[in-house]
Amino acid sequence: MFNLFLAVFPEIFIINATFILLIHGVVFSTSKKYDYPPLVSNVGWLGLLSVLITLLLLAAGAPLLTIAHLFWNNFFRRDNFTYFCQILLLLSTAGTISMCFDFFEQERFDAFEFIVLILLSTCSMLFMISAYDLIAMYLAIELQSLCFYVIAASKRKSEFSTGAGLKYLILGAFSSGILLFGCSMIYGSTGATHFDQLAKILTGYEITGARSSGIFMGILFIAVGFLFKITAVPFHMWAPDIYEGSPTPVTAFLSIAPKISIFANILRVFIYGSHVATLQQIFFFCSIASMILGALAAMAQTKVKRLLAYSSIGHVGYICIGFSCGTIEGIQSLLIGIFIYALMTIDAFAIVLALRQTRVKYIADLGALAKTNPILAITFSITMFSYAGIPPLAGFCSKFYLFFAALGCGAYFLASVGVVTSVIGCFYYIRLVKRMFFGTPRTWILYEPMDRNKSLLLAMTSSFITLFFLYPSPLFSVTHQMALSLYL
Amino acid sequence: MMLEHILVLSAYLFSIGIYGLITSRNMVRALMCLELILNAVNINFVTFSDFFDSRQLKGNIFSIFVIAIAAAEAAIGSAIVASIYRNRKSTRINQSTLLNK
Repeated sequence: MFNLFLAVFPEIFIINATFILLIHGVVFSTSKKYDYPPLVSNVGWLGLLSVLITLLLLAAGAPLLTIAHLFWNNFFRRDNFTYFCQILLLLSTAGTISMCFDFFEQERFDAFEFIVLILLSTCSMLFMISAYDLIAMYLAIELQSLCFYVIAASKRKSEFSTGAGLKYLILGAFSSGILLFGCSMIYGSTGATHFDQLAKILTGYEITGARSSGIFMGILFIAVGFLFKITAVPFHMWAPDIYEGSPTPVTAFLSIAPKISIFANILRVFIYGSHVATLQQIFFFCSIASMILGALAAMAQTKVKRLLAYSSIGHVGYICIGFSCGTIEGIQSLLIGIFIYALMTIDAFAIVLALRQTRVKYIADLGALAKTNPILAITFSITMFSYAGIPPLAGFCSKFYLFFAALGCGAYFLASVGVVTSVIGCFYYIRLVKRMFFGTPRTWILYEPMDRNKSLLLAMTSSFITLFFLYPSPLFSVTHQMALSLYL
Repeated sequence: MMLEHILVLSAYLFSIGIYGLITSRNMVRALMCLELILNAVNINFVTFSDFFDSRQLKGNIFSIFVIAIAAAEAAIGSAIVASIYRNRKSTRINQSTLLNK
C-alpha cells in the first residue's frame, strides 16, 4: 500500500507545503496578537525551502520513481525525460522565487498568497510534465494557468497589472478551450485518451482510408492550443502586453516555467502520442514566423520588458526548429535550447529586477550603466550576447546545435531563416549593450546594489553561460537520454 | 438522433463563443462567451461518450472535470473584472484597453 505513493512523493510534499503555508499565512497574518504581520518574505523563504526539498526528493528518489505502478499508469508516467525536465523546472522556480524577495520589500507587496499560488502552480507543472493522459494533461494545464492568471493581476491598484491579468485570462482560457476541443475530437474519433492507446491507434494514420477528419481536426486544434500557450507566432496575440503589464517577478515566471512544461507536454503528445499524425507543417510555419517576428518587432521597442517578451517569442521560434525536424537530434537540440533558454531568461530577469529601484522601464534609462555599475553592465552584456548567439557563450551553442539538427534532417530553409534572423536579432541586442556602454541618459540614475540572492543567482547563471562551451557534454548526454526515453 | 447533428450543434456553439470572445466590448460578455466555449466542448464529450464509450464513460468523466474548471475560471475572471472595475470605473473593452503600445 505504501508503494502506491512512492512515485508521487515530490508532488505530495509540495502540495502539503502549499496547504501548510497557506494556513500558516492566514492564521498568523490575521492575528491581532502579533499585530497583523505581513508574512510575504516569511512564506517566501519557506516556499523556497519547500521547492528545494521537493527537488531533493525528486532527484535523490529517482530509483523509487520509475515503479510503473498500474494505478498511476493511467494518469502519468515517470521516466528519464520527466526526471530531468522536472529537475529543470524546480531549479528555475527556485531561482525565480529567490529573485522576488527584494521586489516584495521595495514594492511593499504584502500578499503572501503570491508564493502559495506559485507553489501550487509548480506542483501542477510537475504533474503536467509527467502527464500521460489527455484528462490529466488538461487538468494540470488548467491548474497552472489559473494560478498564473491570479498572480498576473496581483497588483490590485495598478491598471497595468489588472489589465494584463485580464488579457492573460482571456488568452489562456481561449487557448485551453481550443485545446479541449481538440482533445474531444481525438477522443471521439479514437475512443481513447491515454497516450499509450493513442500511440497504438494513431500508428495507422498514414494509410489512406484511415485518415479520419476527426483525428486531423483534433490534432490541429491541440497543436493550435499548445502554440497559443507557448506564445508562438501567429498566436502570440497579447503576449508582449501581458509580459509588460504584469509585475516583473510574474513576467519572469511566465517566460520560464510554463514554457518548459508546455514543451514537455508538446513532446509527449506529438512525439509519443501521435508520431505520424502530427502536423509537422504547422510547427514549421510557426517556427519561421516566430523567428522573423522576434527579430523584426523587437527592433522598434523602447521598453525593456517588451523587448524581453519579443526576444522570448523569437527564442521560442528557434526552439521549435528542433521540434519541426522530427529526428532524435532535433528533440535533443530542443531540450538543450530549453535548458539554456531557461538559464538565460533567469539571468535577464534577475538583472531587470536588480535595476528596478528607480523604475527603469525604458531602454534609454539604461544609459551609462557601465559608468555607475560596471559589473552589472558586463553581466547584462554577457546575457544579451548569449541571446544574440555570439560564440563562445551558451546561447551560441544552443543555436548551433539547433541549426545543426535542422541541416541534418534536410530542413535547409529552416536553418537558413534561423541564421538570417539570428543575425538581424543581433542588432537590437547589441544596441542595448551600446546604449549601456556608450550612451548618456538625460538624467543620470544611480542604482542601489542588489541583494545577495540576486547576486548569487546572477553569478551562477552568468558563469554557466560563459563557461558552458568548455564542458558541454553533461548537458548533451542528459538531453540525449531524455530524447531517447521519449521514443520508448 | 444522429451523431452529426449534435456535433454540428456543439461546433456552432463553439464558434459563437469564439466570435463573441474576440469581438465583445463588454468584459462580462467575454466571460460568458468563454463559458459558452467550454460548455460546447462538454456537449462534444458527452455525445461521444454516449455513442461510443458506454463501457468506461471517459467523456462523461472528462466533462465533469471541465465543468469544475470552468466554474473556477469564471470565479477568477469575475474577480479580475471586479478589480479592473474598481480601478477604472468601467468594464468596457475599447481600443485603449486592447492595444497598449
